[in-house]
Amino acid sequence: MAPAEPAVLPAEDAQLIAAWQSGDERAATELVRRHARAVARFLAGAGAPEADLDDLVQETFIRAFRAVASFRSQCQFRTWLLTIGGNALKDLGRRLARRRVVPLDDRLESKDGDPHERAVASEMEERLQQGLTRLPRMQREVFLLRAQQGLEYGEIAAALDTTPGAARVHYHHAVKRLKEWLK
Amino acid sequence: MMRDHDELHDQELRRVAQRLGAAAAERLNVDRTAQAVLARLQAGDAPLRSPIRWIQPAWMRAAAVVVLIFGAGLLTYRIIHPTAQSSGRDSTIAVPAAGELAGFTSGQLQDVLAGLNEPIEVTPAVHAGEAGVEDLSKSQLQSLLQAMED
Repeated sequence: MAPAEPAVLPAEDAQLIAAWQSGDERAATELVRRHARAVARFLAGAGAPEADLDDLVQETFIRAFRAVASFRSQCQFRTWLLTIGGNALKDLGRRLARRRVVPLDDRLESKDGDPHERAVASEMEERLQQGLTRLPRMQREVFLLRAQQGLEYGEIAAALDTTPGAARVHYHHAVKRLKEWLK
Repeated sequence: MMRDHDELHDQELRRVAQRLGAAAAERLNVDRTAQAVLARLQAGDAPLRSPIRWIQPAWMRAAAVVVLIFGAGLLTYRIIHPTAQSSGRDSTIAVPAAGELAGFTSGQLQDVLAGLNEPIEVTPAVHAGEAGVEDLSKSQLQSLLQAMED
């Protein structure tokens, strides 16, 4: 069995970032193409309403490109993007809280495939999604970065400005609470 | 046995977590998103390419300390020298307007210039409410008493 390859080659991301900083707009487009789906998946998992998903992904990349000079490869570019996405989602949550409450039914729901199969498959997802919204932000993000994105604790810790040990504790608290919720 | 069950549960939890948002991410039109991001960047959301890359928190703290020290120093100076700040406000210099200078002779102009160079003598103003009997000189007190007797 061949060893698993990393999802992103950091050197190539670094080259694209350098190209973007020197004014190459195609590099920015390529970075969006590479990471947009991962960002969307993370945001959706963290509770982003589907209607706002595209805007949130755009906002994440705009913020990242604005602040790209502050990215010093402390973690992978994708992980850094996910944390920026988390901040953008938090800001959206504040704005929405001032205007309206988003019902859970508005959240992501697959509209493809067999309805029965979809219902069975999505029941657990829906409950997990609801459970995630009840977690503190740190626990939710650590859980998603670990369980959904498959990142190591060291990488998570670097992205969230914490220690690997603390990230591990957050993850275990999140799992414990989610299990209780899913019972 | 219980641990096996827990591990299975963990695996199931991870499997579900990995599916979270997958469908929505698939529905995202990545090319359109990339174009929109580029359009927004071109419209003015360009990255910061300033040589001052990012203000580090340490620099912010150092700047705050400098401001505090300066502020405290200024406050102390004003407490020690309370008249220093009022001298500028209380003293007035009679300077002729530009139009008036046109009619002056060279001698008068030299007098004006000499007057500007002289140090300003500051006489603190005494307000009626603040003045007391203890502020008067002996002769002033005597004349005041005489006036009261009259």
